[in-house]
Amino acid sequence: MATVSLVTDSLRSYRPEDIRTHRVRRRSYQRWRLVRSQIDFYYFWEKRWFFIALAIGAAMMAMPQPEGLTREGQIVLTMSVVAVILFVTEPVPLPTVALLIIVGQVLLLGIESTTVAKTLMTDSVLFIMGSLMLAVAVVKQNLDIRIAWLIVRITGTKTTRICFGISAVSGVLASFVGEHTVAAMMLPVGITLISLTSDDPKEVRRLAAVLLFSISYGCSVAGIGTPSGGARNAIMIGYWKEFFFDPLNPETQKFLIDYVTWILYAYPVFLIQLPFVTLILNWTFRPEYQRLSRSVAKLRLKIQEQGPMKPADWLAIFIFALILVGWITLSGDTGLGTVAVLGAAIFLITGLVRWEEINSGVNWGVILLYAAAISLGVQMKDSGAAQWIAESFLKLMTPLGAEQGVGLWAAVSALTTLVTNTMSNGAAVAVLGPIVLKMAVVAGESPIVLGFITAISSAFAYLTVVGTPACTIVYASGYLKTTDFLVVGWRMVVMSTIIMMLAATFYWPLLGS
Amino acid sequence: MAILPGIGKGDDEPKSDLRALRERRQNRFRILVCIDGSEASYDGLRFAEKIGTSDDCDIILLYVRPIDQGLRTGGLQVRVARENMLEWGLELPGIRYLKRGLDMLAGEDGLSSHWTTIASHTDSWGDPLGDNKVEYRHENGKSIVLKLKTAPDIASGVLDQYELGPYNLIIMGEPSHWHSEARSFFGASVAQKVAMLAPCSVLLARPHENGEGRGHMICVDGTRHSLEAMRREAVLAYHCGEPVTVLCVARHHADVPTAKRVLEKSTEMIAKMEIGFADALVRVGEPAAEIVRAGSGFSVISVADSGKKLIRRLFTGGIAFRVMGAANTSVLNVR
Repeated sequence: MATVSLVTDSLRSYRPEDIRTHRVRRRSYQRWRLVRSQIDFYYFWEKRWFFIALAIGAAMMAMPQPEGLTREGQIVLTMSVVAVILFVTEPVPLPTVALLIIVGQVLLLGIESTTVAKTLMTDSVLFIMGSLMLAVAVVKQNLDIRIAWLIVRITGTKTTRICFGISAVSGVLASFVGEHTVAAMMLPVGITLISLTSDDPKEVRRLAAVLLFSISYGCSVAGIGTPSGGARNAIMIGYWKEFFFDPLNPETQKFLIDYVTWILYAYPVFLIQLPFVTLILNWTFRPEYQRLSRSVAKLRLKIQEQGPMKPADWLAIFIFALILVGWITLSGDTGLGTVAVLGAAIFLITGLVRWEEINSGVNWGVILLYAAAISLGVQMKDSGAAQWIAESFLKLMTPLGAEQGVGLWAAVSALTTLVTNTMSNGAAVAVLGPIVLKMAVVAGESPIVLGFITAISSAFAYLTVVGTPACTIVYASGYLKTTDFLVVGWRMVVMSTIIMMLAATFYWPLLGS
Repeated sequence: MAILPGIGKGDDEPKSDLRALRERRQNRFRILVCIDGSEASYDGLRFAEKIGTSDDCDIILLYVRPIDQGLRTGGLQVRVARENMLEWGLELPGIRYLKRGLDMLAGEDGLSSHWTTIASHTDSWGDPLGDNKVEYRHENGKSIVLKLKTAPDIASGVLDQYELGPYNLIIMGEPSHWHSEARSFFGASVAQKVAMLAPCSVLLARPHENGEGRGHMICVDGTRHSLEAMRREAVLAYHCGEPVTVLCVARHHADVPTAKRVLEKSTEMIAKMEIGFADALVRVGEPAAEIVRAGSGFSVISVADSGKKLIRRLFTGGIAFRVMGAANTSVLNVR
């Protein structure tokens, strides 16, 4: 029988403070490792896209001026290309890109810094800021369990019906309060239904996919429903006003798209997609359980523990209803942003949410990012860069017969879908918006139609985890794989594109676009 | 089982306390098992379970969660969703994975009343969840620790955890990919990064094709370093109740007599420790390829960290690393 001890005679541990000296004493390979970690050569590889973007930018600036493009336009185009590379590859924190856009406008374009600062804060940016604060306030009211109970009371225990109920309710809510808000609220509902069905994730793998995608895709298809559904909508409304509205010309009044007009265009597109979301999810994943009786019974117990609705709950609902009425009736005069900010202020005044909660729940860098992207978009218009790209794009499309009409719509939709799957949908609209709107003018198309096609197509980011906020949030549950998004995502893209194109062809002309 | 929440100061302890704690830990055999929810990571835990039967062995289960990227969620921080989940009493994915690991270690009967629980929390990277630790401590001093850690990336989190250790062995599941020495400059898998930079021995656990393998196969090349590594690994194999086979690879047929002498010396050393061994093998050819071929029937291939000089290493790669990447069974890189 051996007397060797596991602690003293087996594998050794090294005290962390001795690691450096120990490593140096070890053989050359370990010394090399130590040196390598100190040099941090990996930094350059990690940031390679930053350096590649800078190199491409320098090359574009040094190139001879293309025909029909001003020097300012060339600089703005260069800045846009560099910004897009950085948006997609994320070698540096994204707010850094916003800072570089601001600095670039002052140093490369020679614009006064005060002028640049003014272009950063528009009603669209104010709206994005206010709606993010509202998002945190709404999530903090803990109304999610009551919403869940409402869903299962209507749908019963059949899995397909519950999925449809979740998609429909998530969608309707997300169309008004934004998809990230509803995804954050509904995620625990989905996980509760899954975990109450079975503790073993393997047994509920397909059920989890159906329930969680019902939340995320329900939210994604709905985000286009109203202007408050997402930052991209507010950005497009801002572009229409900036590009086409002339206070002295009454004919341009139609480019001031208010809350109700947006709903008339986009809400039917969302509603038609809803049943298809459930069909596609069930067809793709085929859940293991046809009924969720057990988890619904447990959910009932949970709601009973909470007791009846409290005055604070009713107050939160009342305030949100007020905000909604404000958006519908006042946003034409005061702007969407003012109403959103006022709503956030009311939530703070009534004590329903604390500033600390808002402060930690909102990523303020996003607001800076959208502000800078919109500012760059305005420069694209002013410098003529947007017009030049639009004309060049149409020249490319002409041999394919896609220089106008349905062909052009399809090309714009495909381009937006491609871009939005690689970066945030707000950033995609901020970058593509000016180009598409100029393209509409050059091609003799309606800027409103092409603008809606761009804004709506930016929601088709079903293919990747980072495509839409709702997808990123449900992925955090740990139940989904990245490949799940691809498996079901392409079907969603096809379905959404067909429905949008049908709406553009047959429905929107009825609205006078 | 008694629960003492908040008693342990965890990783917040002052430096002097931390030093004392590390001194105490020097008297324990500590295994860090990295769990990511995959079956491969639980294969690693099964290996730790085998070694961990001894009372002087502690098992630390680690799940590292990368810091949230709020920008990808349209400006609403993911923490809002996570906090909402916690308010519902739901477990975040990491907690779920760690609990499954604990269930595997505790067996069907669960932990008995001889175990006490100490929970601690440390703020980390401004994350509301931060680093959380639950330690299950037996009366006889044995510990099982569940650690949920936040870090910028997973490999950094594992290596950072070592700094709070120390540990005798880090166990990781089979990596999804394993790059060559040159390609590892431009991005390596988590397991490869940890295997490259960890100061202690690292085991890459792979399930054996035919269930249990034929014990541990320890590779020696006759250097003092490899013989010392063999001696220590043999002790580990003995504690796991696994037979030991020693392998020496001769590059050419002319080197076979030298290889045989190395094996004689090795078996003598093992015999002196009163550890029985199953077999002594000699192979001729390229070392990494021969080791992988010979080791396919064993449950663990054990290779000492390479002693090659820098330039040669860069051009030809290290044997230990090539074996780790190419083997179809578990590989222990002994340091």
